[in-house]
Amino acid sequence: MRKLIDSDVLTMISRLLIGAIFVYASFYKIISPGDFAKSIWYYHLFPGVTINLMAIVIPWLELLCGLALIFGVWYRGAVIWVNVLLVAFVIALASTIARNLSIDCGCFKAAESATGSAWNAMTWDFVYLLFSLQMLFSRSRRWQLQKR
Amino acid sequence: MALGVGLLANTVSPDGIPVIGKYRSLSGGNGPVVPPTAEPGDPPFIDIARAQLEFDLGDVLFIDARDESEFACGTIPGSVNIPFEYLPDDDLEGYFESVLGKDRKDRLLITYCSGEECDLSLHLARNLQDLGYTNVVIFFGGSREWEKYDLGLERGPECEN
Repeated sequence: MRKLIDSDVLTMISRLLIGAIFVYASFYKIISPGDFAKSIWYYHLFPGVTINLMAIVIPWLELLCGLALIFGVWYRGAVIWVNVLLVAFVIALASTIARNLSIDCGCFKAAESATGSAWNAMTWDFVYLLFSLQMLFSRSRRWQLQKR
Repeated sequence: MALGVGLLANTVSPDGIPVIGKYRSLSGGNGPVVPPTAEPGDPPFIDIARAQLEFDLGDVLFIDARDESEFACGTIPGSVNIPFEYLPDDDLEGYFESVLGKDRKDRLLITYCSGEECDLSLHLARNLQDLGYTNVVIFFGGSREWEKYDLGLERGPECEN
């Protein structure tokens, strides 16, 4: 198991996969922060005054983390942030399921309405979390621009 | 770093937004819930107190914009069901007239759905307004807020739960 987790190839695949997903996920949110703020509002989890700030910062955090993973710079920090964000997304989606809210998750683009499948989004988040946890515990540092 | 870049980009972007937003988090009977997707020109939003008042006065038609199964499982008593997601593509005006009647386009119509996470009521109200219904309002708190204030929901025999 340890050998698998430390695999250079698997770690590289995880970096490219999660990195690309985070870069892609950030795109629409960066161009349209107002719509992303509405998506956050639909979760009814956060105080109104914090919503716009989250809508401004989270997409850029996703973009920077995604690029850092792909290129292997500021790697440990990016891996930790990616894990934190994915766990937070899972908790947010689980809370919508628990409260029986049917909302568009706003994961890859700003939600335009209030329909969608939180179960579907959460399942995918769990898959991404597996890869990001692998990066977290992997000791592989090959193919990174920034050497330790 | 993301904080700095994000704030900077937001400042220079033409689509930038205020750092501190003004959103109502949850309804509490302190005025109507207005979703951020609301736009100028939309029908007005009403709160639970006004919805209850109109219900008691009686000269109003509540319109549940959710699908049939949700309508059957808990709706404001006396409501009619116009599922927004299943509106016909053709002759929408005729369809509305068949449900709401032909003669009184100025009758007070209150659209609603399940609550603050649902905006079917908003879209339906826009359609009604566009087709000449002059007295449409939106109760965005919906059936959940109605239930929260213990005003009683009606369940049909079709409800499977």
